[in-house]
Amino acid sequence: MRSTFMGLEASKRGLFTQQTALYTTGHNISNANTLGYTRQRANMQATPGFPSPGLNQPVYPGHLGTGVEVSSIQRIRDQFTDRQYRQETNKLGYWDSTAKSISQMEDIMSEPSEFGINQSFTDFWKSMEDVIDNPKDTAARQVLISKGISIAESFNYMDRQLKQIQGNIGNEINVSTDKVNSILKQIAALNKQIQEVEPSGYVPNDLYDARDVLVDQLNEYIPVTVSLQKSGGLAKDVAEGSMTITYVSADGTPIKLVDGRQYAALATMDTNDRRIDGDVDDQAKGSYANFKEIRIAAVGEPPGDPATGIAIDYSKMDPGKGTLRALIDAYGHSGGQGTYPEMLANLDKLANEFITKFNEVHSKGFGLDDSTGQNFFSGTTARDFKVVITDPKQVAVSDTAGEEGNNGNMRKLAALQSQAQDNLKKGTFQNYYKSLVGDLAVKGQEAERSAFNSETMHLEILKRRNSMNSVSLDEEMTNMITFQQAYNANARMITVVDETLDKIINGMGRVGL
Amino acid sequence: MRVTQSMMSSNMLRNLNTSYSKMSKYQNMLDSGKVITRPSDDPVVAVKGMGYRIDLDKNQQYQRNLREANTWLDTTDEALDQVGGALKRVKELIVQAANDTNTADDRQKINAEMQQIKEQLRDIANTKVGENYIFSGTHTNQPLYTDKTGPQNPAITTGGNKPIEINVFDGISMNINTQGADLFENIDGFMAHVTTLLESGATGPEIGNALGLEVTNGANKIPGLDGIYENALTVRADVGARQNRVEMMENRLSLQEINVTKQLSKNEDTDYAKTITDMVTQESIHQAALSVGAKIIQQTLVDFIR
Repeated sequence: MRSTFMGLEASKRGLFTQQTALYTTGHNISNANTLGYTRQRANMQATPGFPSPGLNQPVYPGHLGTGVEVSSIQRIRDQFTDRQYRQETNKLGYWDSTAKSISQMEDIMSEPSEFGINQSFTDFWKSMEDVIDNPKDTAARQVLISKGISIAESFNYMDRQLKQIQGNIGNEINVSTDKVNSILKQIAALNKQIQEVEPSGYVPNDLYDARDVLVDQLNEYIPVTVSLQKSGGLAKDVAEGSMTITYVSADGTPIKLVDGRQYAALATMDTNDRRIDGDVDDQAKGSYANFKEIRIAAVGEPPGDPATGIAIDYSKMDPGKGTLRALIDAYGHSGGQGTYPEMLANLDKLANEFITKFNEVHSKGFGLDDSTGQNFFSGTTARDFKVVITDPKQVAVSDTAGEEGNNGNMRKLAALQSQAQDNLKKGTFQNYYKSLVGDLAVKGQEAERSAFNSETMHLEILKRRNSMNSVSLDEEMTNMITFQQAYNANARMITVVDETLDKIINGMGRVGL
Repeated sequence: MRVTQSMMSSNMLRNLNTSYSKMSKYQNMLDSGKVITRPSDDPVVAVKGMGYRIDLDKNQQYQRNLREANTWLDTTDEALDQVGGALKRVKELIVQAANDTNTADDRQKINAEMQQIKEQLRDIANTKVGENYIFSGTHTNQPLYTDKTGPQNPAITTGGNKPIEINVFDGISMNINTQGADLFENIDGFMAHVTTLLESGATGPEIGNALGLEVTNGANKIPGLDGIYENALTVRADVGARQNRVEMMENRLSLQEINVTKQLSKNEDTDYAKTITDMVTQESIHQAALSVGAKIIQQTLVDFIR
């Protein structure tokens, strides 16, 4: 026999359930603009009917419903889209950062322009021609010296500026590594909280959201793969469990970065076994030691010292993925490869070749004061490139002593400018520099295009992900009305049950009164 | 596909962003007058531009070199013209002196004029362009004749009498001076010979002989007036030929300058008509995006449930 008050109980369950759904809707609306928020849904299910099966069950025609309950509140999210999104984030991070470091280099080279190295070469040549026209004119010789100084200073300036940016990139590597470490630590902390509540039957959706945002951020820096481990105890089916994060090196070795509440720590090391931090390593040259490897400490709480961890060298890093790899590509690795060290080395080579060749011819000539065997420039790199001649009389214009009108040697010097140099890919000095700018430009263009393409792809996938995850206000409004009306109807049901009970309790057995 | 508000707003933001970056590119092109602002915008244009700039600067410098060559050659031509004039007067005087009706006194007067002309010719040998002696080879600081009567400057005659060359194009050089030491040596020798004749009371035919291609001076044979005249003409013809070369070179360079400037401009200058049209088109697209966006974004179901 059913209970007298059963109708009340069923409707009360309805009230509570609709209220929970209404509150979930409210939560969704509140978080419509929260970064990384995933819309939630209250899963409703009917409570077991009456009578429940058993030895002593009453005989009863039909199975009477007893109402509804919320079985769980679930995030609506698709793990496959997440994976795609993160893969594209890897690429976007790489190309964005590469495009940035190349564009900074282009800003410094400032070509084509009226004030780059190209122009200073031309200006220097022009002043040589002026000296050829007027070999004994000290003013023209003085101009030649000044233009020589300007070419040397152009090289000095470029060397200094490029190294400064290289240092900034080193600093960015350091900051990025710290950021990665901090993200790993936060993910482990979230894992810990999640592991604590899930066995008690809770589904901490908002902790999952926070964790997913962190994984998205992590993928900007380094490519990682994730897997989920279910919690034990009374964990619900929809509970996601703790997240294991693995870095897979190019040769396929998996290295755990987060395992439950334990996390690893990374350090980016240079060839001197120091952490890369953008501080000048070789004070005399103002230069930086190249990247050697990333060291990853074994997971722990707290993790071990990364200095003694597993080493991932450049060849074991996935190419084209993540900001960290892009920064390392720009900063320099594997014995002087990389955008900045290569450009610096090429400028040094050009400077050295120019200084050597120019001095070789210059020292054979004679100045107005018959001085001979003098060098015009000194130095072997872009950094120490200098003009040593100070007295215009000592510029070796003549190829014979005592002939002030002789311009033979200067003509040889001017001709150097259009001679192919064997050591400079068989190009002239200016052609070699032009090819440096050209190569850089092509790389820059590739980076820009790839960055744009990755961004488009990234947005496309983000759209697909949002289509699944994000809150639609219209939908929530519709739900709100649905749940509100259901709530109202339940309340009305309680009134109806109340009225029937009123009839029994107050109106029955009073015949004739 | 389920479409949500955040998708639409992020979509709109992205489109507006793209539209802004396009407009900023057009604005850059219009402001700077250049198609590219950095090499990676178009590597080919950038590298070509660098090449054209070198060509243009070289061209300007070569034109400047040619102006210098012109100054030298014009001055040399002028000087040789004066030499020709002086030699003509010498011929007149010798013809006059060869007439035996002249008294010794008359010949002395002719000789006096001869001395003046001799000095004048030595002055011409010391002609300067700016601070440079043009007939002194590479010793442009020193005159060919250091005093009024003495021999030529030994520094020049012993090895210093060299050509001065300047570059007029890539790999093409040109001699801008004229090695006049020999010519002036001959003239000076001849003038001394004539003076001796006039002073020693030589006969008319003896004096007249000096007009030939060659004269016998004691044991030596030296060039006569006609020989010297021919010599001077040859030298002048050479200068004239070089002047022609300079002129031709100037024409060629100015043509090249126009060509390179045109190519430089074609390569990297903004096509204003096209860019402004593109810009205006982009502007209207942008406005449409803004107004449509504003309409879509502001409306949700909330606006209709009261």
